[in-house]
Amino acid sequence: MIVTFPHMGTMHITLKALFTDLGLAVLSPPPITKKTMDIGAKYAPEMACLPFKITLGNFIEALEAGADTIITCGGVGPCRLGYYAQVQKNILKELGFEFELIAIEPNIIQVLKILYRLTPGKSWKEVYAAFRLAGAKMTALDSIEGKISNIRPREKVSGRADLLWQQSVKEIEAVQNISDVQALVGGYNEKLNKVELKWDYEPLRIGIVGEIYVMLEPFANQDIVRQLGKMGVEVHKTMFLTDYVRVHLQRSRQYYNAYQQIVDLAKPYLGHYVGGHAIKSIGCTVEMSKAGFDGIIQVFPFACMPETIAKNILPKVSKEVNMPLLSLAFDEQSGEAGVLTRLEAFIDLLQYRRSKKIVQ
Amino acid sequence: MSYLAEVCLPVKAYFGHAYEVCQDVDYLFVPRIVSAAKGQYTCPEIISLPDMLRSNILKLPKMIEITVDLRKDWRSLYHAVAGGGGIFNVGKIASLYAWHQAWRMGQVQNYLPTAKKEGLSIGLIGHPYIIYDRQISMNVLDKLGNLGVNVVTPDMVEVYKAQNSAACLDKEIFWCYCSHLVGAALALMHPAQVNGLILMSSFSCGPDSLIGEIIKGRAQTLNIPFMLLTIDEHMAEAGFVTRLEAFIDMLERRTQL
Repeated sequence: MIVTFPHMGTMHITLKALFTDLGLAVLSPPPITKKTMDIGAKYAPEMACLPFKITLGNFIEALEAGADTIITCGGVGPCRLGYYAQVQKNILKELGFEFELIAIEPNIIQVLKILYRLTPGKSWKEVYAAFRLAGAKMTALDSIEGKISNIRPREKVSGRADLLWQQSVKEIEAVQNISDVQALVGGYNEKLNKVELKWDYEPLRIGIVGEIYVMLEPFANQDIVRQLGKMGVEVHKTMFLTDYVRVHLQRSRQYYNAYQQIVDLAKPYLGHYVGGHAIKSIGCTVEMSKAGFDGIIQVFPFACMPETIAKNILPKVSKEVNMPLLSLAFDEQSGEAGVLTRLEAFIDLLQYRRSKKIVQ
Repeated sequence: MSYLAEVCLPVKAYFGHAYEVCQDVDYLFVPRIVSAAKGQYTCPEIISLPDMLRSNILKLPKMIEITVDLRKDWRSLYHAVAGGGGIFNVGKIASLYAWHQAWRMGQVQNYLPTAKKEGLSIGLIGHPYIIYDRQISMNVLDKLGNLGVNVVTPDMVEVYKAQNSAACLDKEIFWCYCSHLVGAALALMHPAQVNGLILMSSFSCGPDSLIGEIIKGRAQTLNIPFMLLTIDEHMAEAGFVTRLEAFIDMLERRTQL
């Protein structure tokens, strides 16, 4: 049995660590390329959203490379993600692949059953240790990434932070135990602290809200975080894999309360959960206006139902909390130049706004 | 002022209706239908209708927003009816009686199966707010009738039959009406009661993009012709009619073979 899974940013490192430690043979899908998206878009329903198409492309490429078991997520709606697995399974079967697809539903008994079946002979202690290591890697990657998006707009020689990022990803992927992961994080934090910065430069601060897949997968969002960083903008993503796992899977109290506060901020504008991250997008916009951000960019896959709703409500929020907003929908036809032009225009506008504020 | 973008055509039509009446009334009745069955949701756009109205129409009259959520609690409908009456100082019993009257009227007005004529029959699968709306659907029911075919809509398939057919899916569909749509489509195909299937869906409809794929896959295995008609506000009548005619010509030729 060779296990594979969909890509989403650096998630493959976490999942690879988890499944390898559980004693499974793992094959990460090849990195996402234009070809992945083209294959996915070719076989997916026309109106399916972008994550569906890219993950379908991942599966096809991984199965062609020799994987025979797909582990992916399920869900209970109303977002379409919950029904991806079944439709993708049918499409792959029709294409003639022989494989097993395991969809992890948010149901603890089902999860335990799957674990029991996949890891014969492993004690619960070993299973727990595997989850611990995967969690440590996830936290490490997210903390370094957060720090890097802080440094990128300020560095004197551009490209230093990105270089360190690429190195750290590789090294974290390679190490095998938690203490090594922590040592690496400490080492990279020191290296990052030594990167020379322009001290007199006060970058614009932009928050990114929206759908998790498009936000975390650089290929899906035309690498918007790095592009903005290169233009000298400090970017804050409102979604990290760590947050998602802590809030929705572990229900960690501290994270969950923070999430509830965001939901409360969104209440006047969107009174009910509509699936996906619509409530969080709206709540974070309100929160970031209070935290003194200069602008908000909303990213989402074209025709994503929850984010379309957020998109239709955010202009009112933006007006009321006095916060410039740019909504960007992505699909398989998004071009880099178009996105860049719009980002540049948005940044010009924010800079003009800031200079006006200083004059006043 | 409206920013409304990227939502499906029926929601746009809903906004049009709301906008037209909202200046002339004291109250606007915009229920929030979260779920109409256990464990299922309606679609996100339906859930958020009151919020989208509020964000996009200035000077709204007072809104009557009652939430119906049968996903976890079947008594939610009772609370919605009683609470709705409470807004107008009407007692619980009277509210429930009014609801019962309305429910009975709804039963009468349901589209009833017509006597079957000779000739082709086509399953027209689509949400009721699409296929029964003359404007949105370009009057597809009459057009198909004029072309001399019998039309079977999902409402003509008994609920239990649709449920039985939908039970063979790997996973229960978690959108209320879509579950019935898929079940009805599968029931019509096996055993084959129709010569062909048309799925009428609006552009950017999320649930339909996935259930369409399920229906299409099943139709292909059972060798039943299937056509997806996507509608939006830019659709022109001539192109629409041409496609219907071509589909029916193709079905006729198949039966002659």
